[in-house]
Amino acid sequence: MSLQDAAIAANRFGLGARPGDLKAIAGDPRGWLKAQLTPEKSLPAPLAALPPTEDDVTAFRRWLAASGLAESIGAYRDALKPGAPYPGAAMGAPAPPATDPEPTAADLASPRTIKVGDPDFSVEKSFIAWFGPRYVQAVKARIDVAIDTERPFFERLVHFWGNHFTVSSAKPATQAMPPSFERDVARRHAMDSFGAMLRASSQHPAMLVYLDNYVSVGPNSLLVQHPMLMPAAFRQQLKGLNENLAREILELHTLGVRSGYTQEDVTSFAKVITGWTIKAEGHADGETGLFHFVGALHEPGPQTIMGQAYGQEGLDQGEAVLRMLAHHPATARFVATKLVRHFVADDPPPRAVNAVAAAFRDTDGDLKSVSAALVDLPEAWAPAPAKVKPPEDYLVSAVRGLGGPRLTGVQLTALFARMGQRPYYAPGPNGWSDLGDDWIGPDPVWKRLEFASAVGQGMANAGLNPLAVGEDILGPGLTPATRDAIARAESPAQGLALLMVSPEFQRR
Amino acid sequence: MPGHPLDRRRLIAGAGLAAGALALPRLAWSAAPTDRRLVVVILRGAMDGLSAAPAYGDPAFETARNGLAIPRPGQDGGALELDGFFGLNPALKGLAGRYAAGELVLVHAVASPYRDRSHFDAQNLLENGSDKPYGLADGWLNRALGGLPPASRAGRRDLGVAVAAAMPLMMRGPSPVSSWSPSLLPSPDAGLIARAQALFGATDPKLAAALSAASDAQREAQGMERGQDNFPALMTAAARFLRAPDGPCAAVAESTGWDTHAGQKGDFGALQRNLRGLDAGIDALAAGLGDDAWSRTAVLVVTEFGRTVAMNGTAGTDHGTGGAAFLVGGAVKGGRVLADWPGLRAGDLYAGRDLKPTADLRSLFKAALRDHMGVEEARLEREVFPDSSSAKPMDGLFRQT
Repeated sequence: MSLQDAAIAANRFGLGARPGDLKAIAGDPRGWLKAQLTPEKSLPAPLAALPPTEDDVTAFRRWLAASGLAESIGAYRDALKPGAPYPGAAMGAPAPPATDPEPTAADLASPRTIKVGDPDFSVEKSFIAWFGPRYVQAVKARIDVAIDTERPFFERLVHFWGNHFTVSSAKPATQAMPPSFERDVARRHAMDSFGAMLRASSQHPAMLVYLDNYVSVGPNSLLVQHPMLMPAAFRQQLKGLNENLAREILELHTLGVRSGYTQEDVTSFAKVITGWTIKAEGHADGETGLFHFVGALHEPGPQTIMGQAYGQEGLDQGEAVLRMLAHHPATARFVATKLVRHFVADDPPPRAVNAVAAAFRDTDGDLKSVSAALVDLPEAWAPAPAKVKPPEDYLVSAVRGLGGPRLTGVQLTALFARMGQRPYYAPGPNGWSDLGDDWIGPDPVWKRLEFASAVGQGMANAGLNPLAVGEDILGPGLTPATRDAIARAESPAQGLALLMVSPEFQRR
Repeated sequence: MPGHPLDRRRLIAGAGLAAGALALPRLAWSAAPTDRRLVVVILRGAMDGLSAAPAYGDPAFETARNGLAIPRPGQDGGALELDGFFGLNPALKGLAGRYAAGELVLVHAVASPYRDRSHFDAQNLLENGSDKPYGLADGWLNRALGGLPPASRAGRRDLGVAVAAAMPLMMRGPSPVSSWSPSLLPSPDAGLIARAQALFGATDPKLAAALSAASDAQREAQGMERGQDNFPALMTAAARFLRAPDGPCAAVAESTGWDTHAGQKGDFGALQRNLRGLDAGIDALAAGLGDDAWSRTAVLVVTEFGRTVAMNGTAGTDHGTGGAAFLVGGAVKGGRVLADWPGLRAGDLYAGRDLKPTADLRSLFKAALRDHMGVEEARLEREVFPDSSSAKPMDGLFRQT
């Protein structure tokens, strides 16, 4: 029976304790965590209500057509074809539709259209009008699931893998896609093998569009050599190699940067995955938006990557390279380092990294065993908080701890934008930072104080005793200094706010 | 939850709160040389230098860029002429005007010492000031602020400010700095702020320092237009901090989305939009500072690396090496292009694909810190940019007052 370990399990490995949680899990905190390491039996209801993947992919094409951009002047088409990057991933991105009401089912069924030629047309406005409701609904679903889950460690792992394999809404063509990517890749494979998750990610339409691979074609492929065989519309678009996805798979998803691969390896790998694309609208079998290998766009011939020859034909060639990457010792080390940094300490203790990397290697990257190895790290159970909660987890843990308030999707997206972490809007393919210093600068700390103050006032009449809540959710982690500050607060609202800005609540 | 402070109406009210009543009294700007201001703008994602500043005078330019060459000055969509060889992208009208007014130096074929192709490593190196990614744990601008002449430091709460929701590495380190970004929620009351500050002071020095700096920034920003976070609005905010007599003397701001792997061409392309935003941002900074403060200000506009010279298979460009940087401001001795031009023929390129760098960004940084901000050169070599002896400071970039 350890309340100390229970607090660590619920707060450091989870999404924050709810009242009563610590007592319930104190008998076996490690066992409580490991019991969560099973595949999900069924999707949580808010996620099951989101549109299917095919629908997300075709939404972009429908927007192009509905806004009039598809038939508009060539310059528009150039700028807006899927694959065009979007300025302002972190800062200048269009604000969530804060002036719109919460989206209704009707909004989602027939999104508002601002067309070329409308007096207030701009690409950004048209985009927000079309995709905003979809985004707001997805954020609300993600946060509600995080608040309500009985398996917070599993949920943290889903978020971790969704961030490891980042697809960001900051790029227009993929604005609608990260939620379905997270569901199809991170959530579905969180307890599977790393190799299965890597393959699912590398062949997911969202990733293929986000990192431009769906338009990357082999210079010596059949269709590039004989363009008259291609539909005219594609001739302009499909001209050659794009090495973006190949590079990021090596740098961010598997081996890690500076692990020994060269520019030549990147180029060869890019050739290996040419022809990995998505089904176009109007495809013969009626399905659109899913992975599609087009042999006629694939660069023929063997390729050498990191000194090893890959002579396979077609799709098999890329799958063989992915298998090699999933089993490479550098991948085990890179993934272990990121996991330990995420759950244990900004500066990962080498012994802990070795232990998790060994679990990865010994089990061929079985993510259930790798996750269990994290729980077994003695370093993870040191009482002093070693991590700072990023804004999303901070907000979720506050709502779990206080039992409210339940915010709307519009409120959530607006708040997260100001706190510097809009869900699904990671600034780049490397995802959100896992370093405390990135979340503990003056501005983020101020935004948390604003949030705590507002929520404290909002929950002031809920009949909560701030000190009792603090003891309940932080256990022995509640410091005497915070206890004093709460006890001396001038109102319950101020007491709750002080609890939520206390160092032990901002950290974990 | 009626009356709840997170009520949607309150959350969205920020957008409507006009800037009307905000103007702080314009305080006199004293003429001491300690009033110099330095702003660093980081363009994250790698700006295509040959589109921002086309070298249309190079006979190989059009061929080398194949489909991406900006037309020559005078043609439809053509470059804005600078010196008969280099021009500016037509989206950079404001900067072209500043070139004519002697306020802009274009530095071309320039790069940091980084020679690989990872954005994240390259940005880390650009900001940490060493010659390798993760070579130092804090930022060169912060370390440089520690070397300001005592007269420049006197009377300031913070020496630097980041107009960003997260503190960029360049500004992290031991010197007192702050960060600020626009908000929507009502400010916490003074009682809560004081109690939180006391609690942090007793238990958590990092949180205590962060909250103390944030409170200062909030006082400074009081009345600032809320809810606006596009690049020009951020530069207006930077001006607001910098023009206060006891405000910081350095600022860093970021612009993102420059990674144009695809669809780079065209008036409505991401690159053009970004360049227009950058141009408007510099104008907003100058306007916000006013003529007097602007005359003592220099702005460095830099990116982590250039992009490939040739267009890739998707009408964009991939990660490259050499690129362009801008030095602009009233304190700059401008109207000049600094470039030891390496040429664009196939044999001239770095690794067969990139503009070959012939200048080191650290030479530009050192010049700004030494000649504009008064940081001793020995200190620059020792602490700010260790292992940079090959990168001598550029000379004569600033007006002497």
